[in-house]
Amino acid sequence: MTAAQHVENVLQFLVAGLLTGAIYGLMCVGLSIIFGVMRVINFAQGEFMMIGMYFAYFVFGASGQPLFGDVLGPYVAALLAGPAVFGVGVAVHRLLVGRVTGFRSTTLEAEGHYAQLILTLGISLLLANGALVVFGAAPLSITTPLASTPWVVGPLHGEDILLFVNQGQTVAAAIAVAVVGAFAILMARSRLGRALRAAADNPNAAVYMGIDVDRAYRIAFGLGCAVTAIGGGLLASSYPVQPTIGIDYVIVMYAGVVLGGLGSLRGAFLGGLTIGLVQQLSALVLPNQLQNTAIFVCFLLVVLLRPQGLFGIAARRA
Amino acid sequence: MAEQSPLLEIKSLDAGYGGLPVLHGISLRVERAELVVVVGPNGAGKSTLFKTISGIVTPTAGKIAFDGENLLAVPPHARAHLGIAHVPEGRQVFPSLSVHENLEIGASTRAGRTAWNENREKIYTLFPILAERGRQLAGTLSGGEQQMLAIGRGLASAPKLLMLDEPSMGLAPAVADEIFERIVAIHRDTHVSVLLVEQRVAEALHFATRGYVLETGKVILEGDNKALADTARIRRAYLGM
Amino acid sequence: MFARGRDRNWAWIAAFVGAYALVAVFVGNSYYQLIMTVVLVWAVMGLAWNLLSGYSGLVSFGHAAFFGLGAYFVVLAQIEWQLSPWLGIPAASILGGIAGLVVGLPTFRLRGHYFALAMLAYPLALLYVFEWLGYQEVAVPMMRASPTAYLQFADGRIYIFVALALTLGAMVLTRVLERSRYGMALLAIKQDEIAAEAAGIDTLAWKLRAITLSGALAAAIGGFYAVVQLVVTPLSVFGVLVSAQALIVAMFGGVGTVWGPIIGALTLVPLSAFLDAKLAEVLPGIQGVVYGVAIIAVVMLAPEGVFWKVRDLVAGRGMSARANYTPPGTAPPIDFAPRPARDGAPILAVRGLAKSFGGLKAVDDVSLDVRRGEILGIIGPNGAGKTTLFNLLNGFIAADAGSITLEGMDITRRRPSTRCRLGIGRTFQVVKPFRRMSIADNVIVGALAHTRTDAEARALAHAALVELGISQDSHLPAGEITNKELRLMELARALASRPKLLLLDEIFAGLSAAEIEELMAPIRRLCAAGLTIVIIEHTMQAMVQLVDRFVVLDHGAVLAAGSPDEITRNPAVIEAYLGKKWLTHG
Repeated sequence: MTAAQHVENVLQFLVAGLLTGAIYGLMCVGLSIIFGVMRVINFAQGEFMMIGMYFAYFVFGASGQPLFGDVLGPYVAALLAGPAVFGVGVAVHRLLVGRVTGFRSTTLEAEGHYAQLILTLGISLLLANGALVVFGAAPLSITTPLASTPWVVGPLHGEDILLFVNQGQTVAAAIAVAVVGAFAILMARSRLGRALRAAADNPNAAVYMGIDVDRAYRIAFGLGCAVTAIGGGLLASSYPVQPTIGIDYVIVMYAGVVLGGLGSLRGAFLGGLTIGLVQQLSALVLPNQLQNTAIFVCFLLVVLLRPQGLFGIAARRA
Repeated sequence: MAEQSPLLEIKSLDAGYGGLPVLHGISLRVERAELVVVVGPNGAGKSTLFKTISGIVTPTAGKIAFDGENLLAVPPHARAHLGIAHVPEGRQVFPSLSVHENLEIGASTRAGRTAWNENREKIYTLFPILAERGRQLAGTLSGGEQQMLAIGRGLASAPKLLMLDEPSMGLAPAVADEIFERIVAIHRDTHVSVLLVEQRVAEALHFATRGYVLETGKVILEGDNKALADTARIRRAYLGM
Repeated sequence: MFARGRDRNWAWIAAFVGAYALVAVFVGNSYYQLIMTVVLVWAVMGLAWNLLSGYSGLVSFGHAAFFGLGAYFVVLAQIEWQLSPWLGIPAASILGGIAGLVVGLPTFRLRGHYFALAMLAYPLALLYVFEWLGYQEVAVPMMRASPTAYLQFADGRIYIFVALALTLGAMVLTRVLERSRYGMALLAIKQDEIAAEAAGIDTLAWKLRAITLSGALAAAIGGFYAVVQLVVTPLSVFGVLVSAQALIVAMFGGVGTVWGPIIGALTLVPLSAFLDAKLAEVLPGIQGVVYGVAIIAVVMLAPEGVFWKVRDLVAGRGMSARANYTPPGTAPPIDFAPRPARDGAPILAVRGLAKSFGGLKAVDDVSLDVRRGEILGIIGPNGAGKTTLFNLLNGFIAADAGSITLEGMDITRRRPSTRCRLGIGRTFQVVKPFRRMSIADNVIVGALAHTRTDAEARALAHAALVELGISQDSHLPAGEITNKELRLMELARALASRPKLLLLDEIFAGLSAAEIEELMAPIRRLCAAGLTIVIIEHTMQAMVQLVDRFVVLDHGAVLAAGSPDEITRNPAVIEAYLGKKWLTHG
């Protein structure tokens, strides 16, 4: 390979990494709001993403007749996954998670935390395998004209470098960034956002101030699931949907969230972006099958090498 | 007849954590516009008493009436809306929220929302530093400033009863004096009822209408400030002399 | 714990194994034979998980890593080196133990959620590595010439018997460990890691032992599973369902007991296998659904598992089942203070000690000496930094500056458990009992640091209990006793670690005057016998009668030091406590 080809390769993967990373960033924001507000590690987060993907797939047009046209359709469907999965998340919280993680149990020792940790593992298994029962194991894909048309950048540097930027992915990434922005404004400016942040900082003091902390947790859980599901929906137009896809992505999401610093929304988004870059750029040096391993190793390194940062947050609560 | 009854009336209250009892048959009342002080050694149950009033701890027996209403039937988060402001031990401001946002959270009760513009000015007059630091994150304030914010946050809810749990804890003496002065001013100027847990016994008793001494979860002494200030028991309890 | 005498559990284990073998003899259908084998595989996998997570409370979501390594090792060793599984399985368990150690060393820096998450990543990373290595589907070679030498049998019942032997081994191992200091140490860590560390338990060392054993067992059963299934794929041995199944059979049956994984496997494995066989065609994920529902149901309805739920229903509330302590007949009296008394030399020297949290100086340039054989009272208003000082002294938090010297040895950078073994014992402002253990067991945990054998530990604990006059109640679970008994128990636990210096943090908090008197007697006695004691108190009331000397802290700094008389007359002290008004009122 010539030097120019190398550069072209790197640039190509860099673009791919940024585009995927933006969506990962969105998914990480969803996870981060749940952890940030409730201190709940939600193992089922990947399954809510998977539900978002299936939702987008079916709304977009399993019927063969795209509901909102075949250009905008996938994106409208992805955004609609938000409110739908919000409802699912709120229901799951009300029926299951909230029963073991009320603000009262957060004041107790570790036992309550383990209960919810294991509970969300159960929910994850149930949703993933339930989806397998309902949808079958075969991967499904959304095909759109946008996703198969690239913008061509270049030739740059004389005739040597030619970049292909997938139009579908670019639109999806732009929407992801927009949703993150809207969510950040909601959290920073609205009364609801303020109440959620107060409940996150100190649930007892929030109760003293008249905030219904259990309700705040429920809303946070629903919002977190919804945001991640939108991410899943956006991903569905470039990656095939499968029932058991969630578990890989839960690690992707935690890697991003931990990388960016637990509890910080901006950190979560940047963390997700970084993970997208790591995943794509690792393809330059590693075989394809090891892309995910690169993420897991990256995750382990972050968790193991920066524990003081993690403990900083955990200890403040203790 | 709400006007006739005490603002807060606690009768034979038992409470504790995870099966271990802490409070035994506590009876206590706060009349309108009173400043009532509760003193006692660590582990006597003072904070538990406050948490029980706020609903974070569920009592095993006894009654709490607030403004003539059965408080135990009210869910914890709804109690703030009735007019109870709990300024907890160790301040517990929301560290990642700005000073202004902390106050706004305090003002999210119904009464607090209505009176917010007026209350904000009052709070800023009492604690000018809070106006200066309005956009700063509460977690970056000094201990004394955080205590002022915690009290301001309580006041923002336009309470009928202000419950202060050791507001001088861990503060330098000069700062503690300042905090104490403001508490007295708040009580004098707004006629809000104040229930105060304090270890600076002399100051607390000097300004209080009445006081209670708690030991091992029981009220062992109660009376008006003069009577309490004269008892040797207080001196002994705190200094062993 | 450490109980002597007859233990009916051995009879139950024998009965279970016998009954299982008997049923196996009469099962001719090869499908049922396979299920009976697989039930035991998951029972052993559950026991392996239980050895670490059930006893220590560190939930692992990644035991598939060990299981999968074992499975692949056995298959590949047979293919590459013709190594018989008879040898391959023991070798796999060594590999698993090493893997446990390698995983544990970095991962135990994490706690709670982060530990569980990190553990999840190991098998998933390995899964892709094995796919990449091209081991998508590795079959065990058939050895028609000498099948028995390669653990291959025509009669499926033999597999059941081999699995049963492995299960028996795992059960015996679990039971023996549970009743040894291993079980005690891990249970203590599970209930309160901080208190365990303060009582002299080197928590990291114990956790490493646990994950090594656990990994070894998981790898061994993974190797056996490969032989039974004949084919190994990355997903079938490294997949999430493998880790989840280990956790679920144990949690469903009951954690922290040998019976939990057995009950869980006996219930869930046949159920999911049955549903899978009936419905897999139409409902491919039914097995996962069963496990998902099982774990949700357990968390919601019986968070500690079926075994404990049933046990509690049968035996009534309380964990008396775990409090099977019998006092040793006549213990030789143990002198808890074998030191020359009161020579006035400092046993502990603190110089320039400082610690800040954020901007707050919790302890600010504190220097003090603790003299051998004295009772030193450290007093000060709430928030003065007293507990932070103790946490610095016993090593829970690291100092920003300054030094701590114990008998001439610089201990500023030592772990809490090391400091405990060097002679610093402590109690806590809010008592930290191991709630699910009896009083006696709590104290035995303290005794582990300075004893080699379990009998010695028992004797030492008993002596401490007698010393404090609570030996007659020592069978009671610590979750059900009064504040005074808790304080005495914690004192006994500290005493059992043979301290030279005892740090007592508000040991009188929440006690009545009469109870304080009761508690003061043994403290005086211990001091008279030569033990050095530092007591933190909020008020001076009880202290003036007890201490030789006071150090008054205020805002993290030493405000005054001196005899009780001097201190109670010191205007600065009176002001710090009662306020300025008190002086003017006077």
